Amino acid sequence: MRETKEKRGVAFTIFVHMVLIFLAFLCLFFFYILIINSTRDHYQIQKGFSFLPGTHFMENLHNVLNDANIPVVSGIKNSLLVSVGAAVLATYFSALTAYGLYAYDFKLKKPAFIFIMLILSMPTQVSALGFVRLVEKMNMMNTLWPLFLPSIAAPAVFYFMYSYIQASLPMELVEAARMDGCSEFGTFNRIVLPIMKPAIAVQAIFTFVQTWNTYFIPALIISDNSKKTLPILIASLRSADFLKFDMGKVYMLITVAIVPIIIVYLLLSRFIVAGVTLGGVKE
Amino acid sequence: MKGRSGNKGVSYAKWGYIFIAPFFIAFFIFQLIPLVSTIYYSFFEYYRSGLKIIGPNPVGFDNYKALFDSDFLKYMGNTLILWISGFIPQIFVSLLLAAWFTDLRLRIRGKQFFKVVIYMPNLIMASAFAMLFFALFSDNGPVNGFLMSAGIIDKPFRFLSSVVGARGLVALMNFLMWFGNTTILLMAAVMGINPALFEAAELDGCSHLQMFFKITLPMIRPILVYVLITSMIGGLQMFDVPQILTNGNGNPNRTVTTIIMYLNNHLYSKNYCMASSVSVILFLICAVLCIGVYFSLNSGDDGMGGKKRKKKKGGVSV
Amino acid sequence: MASISFKHVVKTYDNGVTVIPDLNLDINDKEFVVLVGPSGCGKSTTLRMIAGLESISEGDLYIGDRLVNDVAPKNRDIAMVFQSYALYPHMTVYKNMSFALELKKTPKEEIDKKVHEAARILELEPYLDRKPKALSGGQRQRVALGRAMVRDPEVFLLDEPLSNLDAKLRTEMRSQIAALHKRLQTTFVYVTHDQTEAMTMGDRICVMKEGVIQQFDIPQKLYNKPDNMFVAGFIGSPQMNFLPALVEKAGEGFMLSVDSCRVPVSVAGLADYVGKEVILGIRPEDLHIEADMVEASGHALIEARIDLAEMMGSEIYLYYQFGGQKMISRIPSKYDVKEGDRVCLAPDLEKLHIFDKDTEKAIHQTLSV
Repeated sequence: MRETKEKRGVAFTIFVHMVLIFLAFLCLFFFYILIINSTRDHYQIQKGFSFLPGTHFMENLHNVLNDANIPVVSGIKNSLLVSVGAAVLATYFSALTAYGLYAYDFKLKKPAFIFIMLILSMPTQVSALGFVRLVEKMNMMNTLWPLFLPSIAAPAVFYFMYSYIQASLPMELVEAARMDGCSEFGTFNRIVLPIMKPAIAVQAIFTFVQTWNTYFIPALIISDNSKKTLPILIASLRSADFLKFDMGKVYMLITVAIVPIIIVYLLLSRFIVAGVTLGGVKE
Repeated sequence: MKGRSGNKGVSYAKWGYIFIAPFFIAFFIFQLIPLVSTIYYSFFEYYRSGLKIIGPNPVGFDNYKALFDSDFLKYMGNTLILWISGFIPQIFVSLLLAAWFTDLRLRIRGKQFFKVVIYMPNLIMASAFAMLFFALFSDNGPVNGFLMSAGIIDKPFRFLSSVVGARGLVALMNFLMWFGNTTILLMAAVMGINPALFEAAELDGCSHLQMFFKITLPMIRPILVYVLITSMIGGLQMFDVPQILTNGNGNPNRTVTTIIMYLNNHLYSKNYCMASSVSVILFLICAVLCIGVYFSLNSGDDGMGGKKRKKKKGGVSV
Repeated sequence: MASISFKHVVKTYDNGVTVIPDLNLDINDKEFVVLVGPSGCGKSTTLRMIAGLESISEGDLYIGDRLVNDVAPKNRDIAMVFQSYALYPHMTVYKNMSFALELKKTPKEEIDKKVHEAARILELEPYLDRKPKALSGGQRQRVALGRAMVRDPEVFLLDEPLSNLDAKLRTEMRSQIAALHKRLQTTFVYVTHDQTEAMTMGDRICVMKEGVIQQFDIPQKLYNKPDNMFVAGFIGSPQMNFLPALVEKAGEGFMLSVDSCRVPVSVAGLADYVGKEVILGIRPEDLHIEADMVEASGHALIEARIDLAEMMGSEIYLYYQFGGQKMISRIPSKYDVKEGDRVCLAPDLEKLHIFDKDTEKAIHQTLSV
């Protein structure tokens, strides 16, 4: 009796592992093909699929970086600029807002908090039209500013920061700083920010990745080739006559857009996976 | 001595306003003004006809009428189908994985590895992912090549020309991109349950399966609601994947055109009135869902509790 | 010169709750004053008003000769030790202690000298490079003290600084803080809810309840001559016994009777109470079981069946009922009293406390037979 139960347990454990391996395979397989194909030239790719990498990695990379129609180098630069800008603004100002609502008592405190909670999940797409019109009026079409300035108001990042600050900043610490003669901004910058470092790091990564990946709004704002970010460049590949393209280059461009993020992710994976749950949900 | 006012030195309320000001100013400029002007335009006639710009002339609810006479409802249906066919496997697999990962009796090897791998697609640029899928599943792409060389099919399957194929690919990508994220959220929720509850249930003679349905599921319900609603909002925003996969035309026969793709088309053709009425309807749906998120996150308290200000009873005007 | 003086100070929170209705309190220079009372009595609010962390709704607060109502905390020349210590977790012990001086732009050498001196006094020198996380509770407490010390403040504020320590460490730190006060020669204001801490440390003790000062005096006075039932009950452990007693005229003096117990007193103030009830207060150690005392006491005897006898080591606590009230006595442990025994206890007639039943105020004057 006991033995059969144990056997069943072993069989179940094996089953669980099979399912997990299958899912992991699904997640990894496409990236495997991507990497493989980015090392092969157009002709090899057309001929059929292979599990073994080719020898044309550098050649494909060279071709992608030097294609006049798809300015990849400036695309990377623009994407970096916008993503870093968004990450810095979103984390700093969200932390500031969270601290403001946590540490001070004022009349509009609760309404302000409820308001942010209500717009927590409101997609920016709903006001896309007005946003484009506004950017036109501000003469910022075809500039990178409108792609990261709105990050100052990032409700989801705020909520994460607020949860974190609640759990890790006793008011006595703020009061101690006041007694020590710190100004209010000084307290925030010298005491609160260092304590919030872990939360800021997690949110900076998430905001960076999100901004790195966004396509909808940038595509509406940017039309100038030299200002395009990576997602727009990839989309422009798709709209061009696809079949005439050098497939090695296509795969290489996708690799360039994806792989840096994956590398950073793998380096910080433990940290990021733990961070997913920190602010999003209580309990 | 009565009515002394102006405790400048020790009143900090103004700093609260100063600290939250940048957030609200940015919100006001970049989200509220655009939203209001979007709503405003939805009641006007304003579009380009050839080289001429028509309007803006006020037309009342005509835009909304025109919207519902167009294929809008069909695109709404598309969005719903695409979302649901990704979400159902996603929540199912995530619940299963969350239950497995948190089951202490089940010894899973390489738990951390699996967690890292299943979360990874969530960070991938959706447009690049879609481009990759397009390349892989194109008529003479590697997947067809693989299937043919394995002898499963004898001529290429045209994934992107069949309704099921195209919708299936979108659903598959959404599933891959989100099931890891959901698994991790649900896992955290399960691990937040007091272990004594499970022990008590076990003493009461609860079986494995009963435990899942009678304890785990009810306990993580708030998070399930949160996952459901945020996923719905995400589903409504679906754009990058179908847009790039179908090059914006939503083919075959516009069966994968989502609401935002429709909005995008109007924005590109500068048909502002239609674009804005689509936005407004989207906004209204999202507003309802946002209220849902609000309550799913604040069930039980006002969300501002837990403030570590011990001895200030009656002092916190929250 | 750093006396502290509250003149008709009122504290009302934004939500309309008044926690301090009208506070008048004068603390002398170099004095060690303890604010004590149950939680919610306004003692912490009072301390925080001195610190400037809490605004003053009405009235005036002076530190020295200076009106400080509108002065920011950093300009009041005060230092504060918090209950949770509030050490900056990302700074080393050294940085924690030097932070305030750095903000004041004190020269580097001077900071270094002051920090090392404080560290030497508090025996923290080996830990200067550590972060607070790597310290024990007692060490953190000393860092918090050190952080206040280096600033040479006019006033030292301490908000329940020992409540997070275990019992043994608390006793040790109590004497350390008292020694520190002697050494620094500055004004100390100390908040606690623990009457033992208050009694052992304070030059003067201010007992508060619901935002009102009940009594502000030296420890001996508080214990021997409490102004009202609240102070009498709050100070001393176990608590004072309270018995409702009827006042009768008896020759020159008066007779208080509770059940069969008749206690002669000669308090002039009782004249108005003849025929009425007052509250008789007797401390547990003032009820004697010694045979000679019992014999000498005549009718002033409390006879009861013991419900519970708790052996405390040198003493035994007796729990019983008398006159419808729960009573406690402390007797030397050489007397072998057990649960169920009937005993006679004689109150020390020199140490009786009498209170008005309605106002709960003490009825004083010449407590002698």
